[in-house]
Amino acid sequence: MTSEPETTNDAQSRSEKIEKILAREEELIPSSGFLASVMERIEDEVVAPPPIPFPWKRAVPGMTLAACVFGWGAVELVRIGVPAATRFSLPAIHVTAAFTRPVEQAGWVALALGVSLISWLVSKRMAGRSGLL
Amino acid sequence: MNANPKGAAEDLADVARVLAGEARAFEGIVRRWQGPLINMAWRYCRDRGRAEELAQEAFIRAWRGLAAWRRESSFSTWLFALAANVFRSELKRFPTVNLPIEDISEPAEPAGQLVEAVERERYEVVRSAVLALPMRYREPVILFYFHEMDVSAAARTLGMPEGTLKARLSRARSLLAQRFPHLKNEVAPAKFAGKAV
Repeated sequence: MTSEPETTNDAQSRSEKIEKILAREEELIPSSGFLASVMERIEDEVVAPPPIPFPWKRAVPGMTLAACVFGWGAVELVRIGVPAATRFSLPAIHVTAAFTRPVEQAGWVALALGVSLISWLVSKRMAGRSGLL
Repeated sequence: MNANPKGAAEDLADVARVLAGEARAFEGIVRRWQGPLINMAWRYCRDRGRAEELAQEAFIRAWRGLAAWRRESSFSTWLFALAANVFRSELKRFPTVNLPIEDISEPAEPAGQLVEAVERERYEVVRSAVLALPMRYREPVILFYFHEMDVSAAARTLGMPEGTLKARLSRARSLLAQRFPHLKNEVAPAKFAGKAV
């Protein structure tokens, strides 16, 4: 019978205690150099050169040209792509033909790897001579 | 926090001088507001060094944005709102290490002559627990107590309706009360009884 009012009182008491703790905060005193350091930064801001404005005069022609090219590209894509897409069908893959010349294809892969390796070695040697590595 | 009309007039005069190009006039503003801003930042991070850094950053932003103050609200309201934004964004970029509120345990009952010291430590744990609250509850609590329990000032600083602030305060208090089930109030603080929301 008595447990319910006690619980309510406890909750109220806890809330009041928390209220009291949070309201009583010790006040910090600014350190002696705080004002000087803020004013130093303000003075740095005053003497700092103004930020470089964005070069709109130079950028606008390039941006216009780029917008035109992209716009034209998009128009062309729609003009050519849409009719082509309606006619598109997947080609039949001839699996037997894909496996007929594996050795020849492996040769091309080996050649490409060899050229890459030589290119890497030559560039490394040149960079080493110039003192970059 | 600044109901002093003389201070408000001085703020206006200093702002006018700064905007006229006299940078040194900003010193008066820093001198008047350094204490409140550092104490406000302290409540956001509970780290003295960090609080001064945050307050300094707030002053720099105020300096840069002084021309944007439209005088619709008082200078102090504008400054506190700007500072709250700075503290929030800076602490989001470089957060302080806070425990989740579930991991904060209530200190044990004090005994003997250590009562006072333990009580002080216990209070600090409760204050630190505010930083573990979710941001939407944390800021109303920080600003409500910073503004000496003035709901309208805290609401203006946060730019939210007073009703929303009251609801969040209530939720924050119940979260804290759940976390510290053994806190008991020895003497009901009459000073705060009329102000509580």
